[in-house]
Amino acid sequence: MAILQLRDVSKSYGQGARRVEALREVTLDVERGEVVALEGPSGSGKTTLLALAGALLTPTSGEIRVDGDDITRYGARARTRYRRDRVGFVFQGSNMVPFLTARENLLLVADFGDADRPALRRRADELLDQLGLTAVRDQIATSLSGGERQRVAIARALMRDPALLLVDEPTASLNLELGTRVVDALLGEVHQRDKACIMVTHDDRMARRADRLVGIRDGRVLTDTPLR
Amino acid sequence: MLALTEIRRRKLQFGFVTGVVALIAYLIIMVTGLGLGLYDAAGTALLNLNGDHLAYAANSNLSVIRSRLTEADVAEVRALPAADRATPIGYVAAVVEYAPGETDTAAIIGVVPGAFSEPAVVEGGPLGGPADILIDRTWARLGDTRVGDTLALPIGFQTRDFTVAGIVDQGYFFFQPAMYVDIAAWRELNFPGDPAQRPAASLVLLQGRDLDGLRGEGWRIVTKEDGFNNIEGVQAQQSTVDALRYMGLLIGAMVIGVFFYVITLQKVSLLGILKAIGAPGLYLVVQGLLQVLIVCVIGAALAVGLALLTKATVLSSGAIPITFTNGAMTVSSISVVIAGVVGSLLSARQVASVDPIIAMQQQ
Repeated sequence: MAILQLRDVSKSYGQGARRVEALREVTLDVERGEVVALEGPSGSGKTTLLALAGALLTPTSGEIRVDGDDITRYGARARTRYRRDRVGFVFQGSNMVPFLTARENLLLVADFGDADRPALRRRADELLDQLGLTAVRDQIATSLSGGERQRVAIARALMRDPALLLVDEPTASLNLELGTRVVDALLGEVHQRDKACIMVTHDDRMARRADRLVGIRDGRVLTDTPLR
Repeated sequence: MLALTEIRRRKLQFGFVTGVVALIAYLIIMVTGLGLGLYDAAGTALLNLNGDHLAYAANSNLSVIRSRLTEADVAEVRALPAADRATPIGYVAAVVEYAPGETDTAAIIGVVPGAFSEPAVVEGGPLGGPADILIDRTWARLGDTRVGDTLALPIGFQTRDFTVAGIVDQGYFFFQPAMYVDIAAWRELNFPGDPAQRPAASLVLLQGRDLDGLRGEGWRIVTKEDGFNNIEGVQAQQSTVDALRYMGLLIGAMVIGVFFYVITLQKVSLLGILKAIGAPGLYLVVQGLLQVLIVCVIGAALAVGLALLTKATVLSSGAIPITFTNGAMTVSSISVVIAGVVGSLLSARQVASVDPIIAMQQQ
């Protein structure tokens, strides 16, 4: 069974003449071990799809299932727990807590409840090592380079070992070499640990490294191309 | 802990807010101290009298200055069955010469030597004769007067020398240090003319129950506390000081509230990200309130230290009537902390209402 299933999902903003249809009856499955790149022009609905899968938004209609659970029925607390435990977000521009060190940014999730702190500390050190960040683990986030920040963001998203990664423009502020390293780190984690990932990107070179390329225009899925 | 780490790493920002809180708390502690000092100066000598009720002249409107009781009034009050003990006392303000050419005003209180109205001495002895005087320790300190020294008090156009028999710890009356003389001497000081025209006392101090509200033709009895509250200006003065204090707390709450609201607005995107990665709203609200609490507690503690330093330096002369008590400083500090937390509730509401979708809109 696909880890993420979207069935006839629509999302609109505003009302009356100002109503905007961001997504229109989108149906999409994402399997474990699969990286799906979402590409499309600005305003096509990519970020809305990501936000819906991450329970940051609720759809106007349709059904979103993660591991069989319909997350559109979740209340506020359940959505918070879902984001904390089952989804890993990597935002554009990394979005670190600026006054924390790289390691503290990872350990932040331990403060959000239900945490085995010693295990999370071990996990943080392990991820920092895997992503080549051990040397900068005690540096304040604002003093890290763009690539380091983005890798810390990936590490943070993986802290609770979520099955689903939602990644928004991970290479937007990076040069090609750094961008490739960041995306490769992400792909490695998904393939090795049997996770699933949806990655929004404008960069065709990065999109081509994914397992599938889904093209969105005007809120509709127009193309769905396997790349592997 | 996110709240503590942020304070530790952003010392300048939080140090600035803490400094502002400290100044507000300092202002409130000083105003409270001024209120207590003025309260003391208004009439602790009256409150410290060893009785629970006072008889005033019926037509005095409970003014110690205007109250004049006749011998008959005093005798009538003394004969009341409810009065366990009663003794006349007198009051007059006088300019006292404590060194050649050096004068200051004092509250001269006439008491019957040996009666329960005569205060206990902390140094020296009690009133031994009509030329003896007991002085409050505040006067002893200000005028460097000692037991055995002579003070000149005016009687008509003349002065009479009184010998300091002892030092008492009774405080002020009408903002002047209290001094105690034989009530016979008080009558001469206050009414130097025809002895037959002299009133017997200003008030009668009483001990007993069910005396409050009793009236005679020329007198009426109230509790000592009512008598104190009717001292000219006391109510207006305390109301003014209270208004200043409450205004200070209100301004403090608003300033602290605005500071933290601005800090919260600056962090809206960060709060959105934290919520997006699973931070519960309650966790973030608690972190915010914890920061307010820490800043206010440190600010209040700094203010207490500053107030004590001020007391030890600027106010050491005793010229300004500011009194610090542990209780008043504790209450003022806690009030500032509570005002700060209340003021920051708007920020807490803002934190709780941040939508995690903001995290996706940072591009």
